[in-house]
Order: sequence, then C-alpha cells, then structure tokens
Amino acid sequence: MNAAAPPPALATRALVAGYERDLPIVRGVDFEVAPAELVVILGPNGAGKSTLVKAIAGLVPIHAGQAFLAGADITASPVQEKVRHGLAFVPQTENIFATLTIQDNLQLAADILPRSEQAARIAEVYELFPDLAARRSACAGNLSGGQRQMLAVARALIVKPSVLILDEPSAGLSPKIVGEVFSRLKEINTAGITIVLVEQNVKAALAIAHRAVILVEGELRHDGPAATLADDPIVAQLYLGATPAGREEQR
Amino acid sequence: MNPQILVDGLIAGAMYGLGAIGVTLTYSILRFANFAHSELLTFGAYAALALSSALGVLSAGLLAPLGPFSFGWSLPLAAITAMALTGLLALAVDAVLFGRLRARRSSIIVMVMASFGAALTLRSLLEFVFTSKPAYFTRELQIALPLGGGMRATPDQLLALVLAIALVVAVHLLLTRTAIGRSMRAVSENQALAGVVGVDVRRVIRVVWLLGAVLACVAGIMAGLLVQLRPYMGFDLLLPLFAAAILGGIGSVPGAMLAGLIVGLAEAGTVQLVGAEWRTAVAFIILVLVLLLRPHGLFGRPQA
Ligand SMILES: Nc1ncnc2c1ncn2[C@@H]1O[C@H](COP(=O)(O)OP(=O)(O)OP(=O)(O)O)[C@@H](O)[C@H]1O
Ligand SMILES: [Mg+2]
Repeated sequence: MNAAAPPPALATRALVAGYERDLPIVRGVDFEVAPAELVVILGPNGAGKSTLVKAIAGLVPIHAGQAFLAGADITASPVQEKVRHGLAFVPQTENIFATLTIQDNLQLAADILPRSEQAARIAEVYELFPDLAARRSACAGNLSGGQRQMLAVARALIVKPSVLILDEPSAGLSPKIVGEVFSRLKEINTAGITIVLVEQNVKAALAIAHRAVILVEGELRHDGPAATLADDPIVAQLYLGATPAGREEQR
Repeated sequence: MNPQILVDGLIAGAMYGLGAIGVTLTYSILRFANFAHSELLTFGAYAALALSSALGVLSAGLLAPLGPFSFGWSLPLAAITAMALTGLLALAVDAVLFGRLRARRSSIIVMVMASFGAALTLRSLLEFVFTSKPAYFTRELQIALPLGGGMRATPDQLLALVLAIALVVAVHLLLTRTAIGRSMRAVSENQALAGVVGVDVRRVIRVVWLLGAVLACVAGIMAGLLVQLRPYMGFDLLLPLFAAAILGGIGSVPGAMLAGLIVGLAEAGTVQLVGAEWRTAVAFIILVLVLLLRPHGLFGRPQA
C-alpha cells in the first residue's frame, strides 16, 4: 500500500465467520470498500449476508481472516469498541430500543461522545430528521416501520461514523417509504460517509449504489459496478433468486 | 381492623421492596431468576454484625445509642463496609460462576440451578461461621412512639422506612436520568444492540450486581435490626422478594417497591384477620395470582 492511495474505508481478508466454531457461514471473503463509496451486498436468503456484516460489526465470532477499518485491524476489537473507531451498524431486525424514547435512543448513542458535544450533535441529527424531532419524547416502540428505520439510521449517524453498514433497511417497508429511506442514504453517502448496504430489494439498491457484490453460500461470486449488474439478467436470475415482489409475498 | 397492621405491613414491605429491586434488576439484565439473591441479604446482615461488633470492641463509645435509635455509630460505619463486601461477594460469585456460564451461553435453567447451588453454599457457610442461633445488632429496648390513629412505630422502624423510600428514589433517578441507567435499560431490552451502540455490556452487568448487592445488604441489615439475624433470614424472604419483583413487573424499580409494600401489607392484614399461620402463604398466593392473571406485573412490559 503506497502513501498516495488511502487505505480502503473497510476491508476484509479471507474472512471466515459463523455462530458455531465448526460451522463457518462466511467462508473466506475478501471485500474492499473505498472511502465515500456506496456498495450493496446482494444474495439469496441464507447466503450469509447478515452473518458477514454482523461479523464485521463484532456480533458474530470471526474464526479466521481479518477485518480492517481505514487500514486499522479491528478483527479482535469487541463490539462496543468498533463504534468508537467509526463503524456504525444498523442490524436487520430489532435495530432500535422500543422501550426507550426517541430522545433516549439518540442520547444512548451520544453517551460515547464527549459530554460537551452530545446535545449539539443530537440537535444536528434532529435537523436531518425533523419527523423524529417532533416526537422526541415518544416511545420508539410506537413508531411506524419507516420511522423506526429512520430512527435506526439517525442513531447510527450520531457518532459521525466513517463507515455505515445497514442490513436490509427496506425490509417490510412500502415502496414509497423505501424510496424515502434510500434517498436519505444517498444523501448521507454524498456527504462523504462510506455505506455498505445489504439488500434484497435489488432494483432500489442498485439505483443508488456505486458497486455491487453478490454473496452465495458464504462466498463472494460477483463484484462490479452497480449499473452493469442492473442490466445483467443472467446474473440476476442466477444469484438473486426471488424478485423483490416475490420476497414480499414470502414474508 | 387494627390500624397497626398498616405500620407493620409498610415496614416489612419496605424491606421486601429493597430486596426485590435487586431481584428485578438482575432478572431483567441477566435474564435469570437469581435464587442466591436472598443469601446476599443474609451475608450483608452478618457482615455488618461482625464489623459492628469488632468496632464495639475497639471503642465501646461507638456502641452508645445514637439519639432515639437502638444502635450506636458502630452500625452505620459497619453497614457501609458491609455494603462494599456484599458487592464484592456478588462480583466474585459472578466471576467464578455466572460469568463462566454466560460465556458458555448456558441456558436459563442452568443459570437458575447454579443460583440454587450458590445459595445453598453461602447459607451453609454462614451457618457454619455464625451458628444457627439468632443474633442481634443491639440489646437496647426501644419504646414505640405513638403516630396517631392508634398506630405506633419505633424510631428504628421509621428510619428503615425513610431509608428504603430514599433508596428507591435514588435508584429510580439513577436508572432514568443517568448515562449508566440508560445503558442498563438498553441492555435489559436488547443486549446485542446495546453493544452495537457502544455500551460496554460487561460493565453494565458489574454495576447491576453491585447495585443489587448493596440494596440486599441494606435490606438484610434492616431485617436484622427490626427482627433478628439468622442464617435462614434471607431464605425465608425469598418468596416475598420474588412475589414483589414479579408483581411489580420485571425491570421496574418503583414497581418492585410498590409491590413490596403490597405484599407486606397483605401479610400483615392476613395475620390480623385470618391468623399468623397463614402469613407465609400470602406471598405464594400473590405470586400464583400474578403469574396467572397478569404475568408482566403492574409495570412490566408484556412479553411479545
Ligand atoms: N443466530 C444464528 N445462529 C445459528 N445460525 C444462524 C443464526 N442466524 C443465521 N444462521 C444461519 O446462518 C446462515 C446464513 O444466515 P444469514 O442470516 O447470514 O443469511 P442472509 O443472507 O442474511 O439471509 P436473509 O436474506 O434471509 O437475511 C443460515 O443458514 C442461517 O440458518
Ligand atoms: Mg439477513
């Protein structure tokens, strides 16, 4: 790595991860994301997409290989340390604290910032999400699906992460709300935050992504610009399985 | 109806409430019913007794009663040290037992059984060291003051009640107004997500043990001061503590205290109206009724 090229914002080297020691789900993934890039991870159900991002975030044990954040090895750092290094993660399900108020959800994330900066940072995030600001003392469990995703994203942004990983933020949302969430993500990315997006909503995801990778049975099978993938019916048929509409029916 | 049952019930109930807070917090954060919690209560009481007696030997002046109370400076001084020791004991038990089981992702039933084992071990140790003969913090006799309305209470009893209420308010504020309290509520809802947000879950678990142990120690000292110390004092409180924790709603501090008072009042009322032999059945009946009719208790959140 020479001095001129910055290290990738996020990278994995031969990453092997899984819930049980003798049962690797992610099987040797080499994955790189450049600073300010928006990459989407696609793949059929059960391919290991969630397991891959959970392993990077520190929620699933890494058996072998490494993960790097801006060149620093974060393989062994515990989950609560990763966010302090600038890695924010929005899980696929249960990604907000339903029993806490909106304000407490954001304050909880802000608790790792210096005390003098917390209130200002929460105010900045409320400016980005006026809907949340209007209901700050409401219990987060009372929010609609779309608002919950917005809160989860807002919560992740509190710490000004360098990399934001989201696991299927569109799941369970109506097409209109998906559009809103995705245009938000595009804005956040345009502002300079690297985004890794796991998605089943192929069309919407490819529309905002720079690059797409496809994960099948725990291995990366395709890596290329999002635009070409969107027009590639064979790849879509081979690896993406159900169409977005078909997936809605499964739920 | 004799109005005195109100005073008796509230005072016993305050003790139950303090113990139940520890039960409810460990339950909501560690997700198992810790049957060894009552032994923390017994340990705290005996630790305070041993330290208080030792202080009395060093300086007899420390035993001279403080104002209207039955005890001297030796007891509050001993109590503070005993709280620290009880906290250390809880951390030690977690380090050698529960923490290891958590690391192995043991099932809830294994944790509960381990807590039974820990309870038996601790109780036997206390019985071995202090014998099963009842012991007392002081031999001073106290005159109950008239409170009006035919009710009477000793200064010690009133102090216990005030102290219990003050501690509940303090713990409630800690949970609702501070960063560590926010972390505790977050871990209680979703441990994995709390980690993702940056909460050090292991630190939160240590704080919960310390908090529960300190409150157990205070409740044990109260029981020792108002009744007597016996190696089985905690064990006898187990049912009222769990009844209060579950009636209050797991995770709710004000709920635990309110429910403690309800259990205490129900017991006192039963003793008066039905007969003393029914006392121990009261907590059991409350427990069963809550589990059947409203398993999430007064202030708990229903499980999805
Ligand atoms: N908590 C868990 N414990 C054990 N195995 C799990 C766990 N979660 C998922 N798995 C297994 O890991 C494999 C990959 O699951 P994963 O959730 O990573 O897939 P995914 O690509 O995210 O699928 P989806 O599109 O349905 O979200 C599956 O075989 C699944 O059964
Ligand atoms: Mg998934």
